[in-house]
Amino acid sequence: MNPASSATPGSALNPGLEPPAVIAPPADLFADRAARFERLAAGHASGDWLAFLARLTRVQHELLQQHPAVPLPDAATLEQASRHAMPPLPANGWPRDPVWRRHLATLADRLIPAAPESLRPQLAGLASAPAEELERLAAAVLRTEYDPREAARLPFVAAALQVYWTWMAAQPAFAGLARLDVPGVCPCCGSLPVASVIQAGQYAGTRYLHCSLCNTEWNLVRVQCSACGKDDKVSYRVLEEDVAEGGTQRELVRAEVCDDCHSYLKVVYRDKDAAADPVADDLATLALDILVDEAGYMRSGPNPLFIPGDAAA
Amino acid sequence: MHVSRRGFFKVCAAGMTGSSLATMGFAPTAVLAEVRQYKLAHATETRSICPYCSVSCGTLVYSMGDKSRNAKARIFHIEGDPDNPVNRGSLCPKGAGLLDMVHSPLRLTHPEVREPGSNQWKRISWDEAFDRIARHMKADRDANFVDKNDAGLTVNRWTTTGFLASSAASNEPSYLSIKVMRALGVVAIDTQARI
Repeated sequence: MNPASSATPGSALNPGLEPPAVIAPPADLFADRAARFERLAAGHASGDWLAFLARLTRVQHELLQQHPAVPLPDAATLEQASRHAMPPLPANGWPRDPVWRRHLATLADRLIPAAPESLRPQLAGLASAPAEELERLAAAVLRTEYDPREAARLPFVAAALQVYWTWMAAQPAFAGLARLDVPGVCPCCGSLPVASVIQAGQYAGTRYLHCSLCNTEWNLVRVQCSACGKDDKVSYRVLEEDVAEGGTQRELVRAEVCDDCHSYLKVVYRDKDAAADPVADDLATLALDILVDEAGYMRSGPNPLFIPGDAAA
Repeated sequence: MHVSRRGFFKVCAAGMTGSSLATMGFAPTAVLAEVRQYKLAHATETRSICPYCSVSCGTLVYSMGDKSRNAKARIFHIEGDPDNPVNRGSLCPKGAGLLDMVHSPLRLTHPEVREPGSNQWKRISWDEAFDRIARHMKADRDANFVDKNDAGLTVNRWTTTGFLASSAASNEPSYLSIKVMRALGVVAIDTQARI
């Protein structure tokens, strides 16, 4: 009997079983994320914002559940991408189906009642904006060129694109993707990771990078810089109040900093709390970003639900 | 400095008021006030090898404290290394108790010697320990080295000393162990990993 078939389903340890290189996004991903946003919002300094993002993510879930079938790359394109170790659904290059603009209109319509007064005209504008303008915003989001002047609109554009790309990434055509030669970008869409996730469950303790666009996760060994690939000057930064409260426990979110390339990316320890989410827990710990930035490190992956302002403004 | 093709993202206090959080109509002041309650603490995760048995499971050692600022790093958690193909994150009960060995007051942290005829262990320095080992090895090799066999063929063997290589060693230290021992003429070479 081989080890795979003898392993107990859901058992924590599988000695000898190699973790998969790539994990496709699960169907209930946005529902779990919305629940996580809701939980984090309670008693949080920016709880109203997190609660609003919970509603946004809830709409993302509904859109994903009712997603229509849209064109996918043909077999020849898939084969070519695989042969050259390129992502098959490149964020920059894949011809976007107009369905994402319908997602955006639905998101805007559904969120207007919950939005702050000042945001409502912007959302109404998004729902009725001409296609060319929306495609221009989409291209900027996908190139991670975040114009602070568009900060209020880009998160919704990104949310709509996330639904579209996540639906595609979850299709059977992309099951069993291989890792790319470069560890720092998504093997499905070529986007940058939002954070690292330490897995719970069957492959407990392994690290996966979580795609900021299509929610695919790909394996990278622990204690290695995901931006430059070096491992000898990697350390972690945590918020000290957490340390005082539970100094013998690992924190739920840490910043993995590299003193070779002076970048950082957060690590979310799902093995400590299985409900932790790379997108929600990231936005609930902006204080960590601000302090790590002041310590001289630059963030290597975006979270497009939060567009930073201009630091010089 | 290695700069990513697409550049980095700056999430900082100065950019909060122009961020999407603020322009979407939520107040950034609470986040900025919250930041001042915190300080950054340093932590490390370090790969190591369980010292107990010949399986040599990989471990991840978690510590707190900034080694560069005179604060002594404090190891607070050790778990199986999920990336190590030997154990893929698992540890036996003895390995899972490694943290207690690290902090044990009975842990041996320096070389000791028990002289012939004595029943006492005596603390010695690392230099002394290395000197003693080298002296014993050289005395034994000088006395027992076999340069030619009965047929007069050059063999350069040192058969009275054996070497047990570490099971925790990776390819490179194992290669070096063999090279050094073979160069001395040792033929009785084995590794703990085989046991």
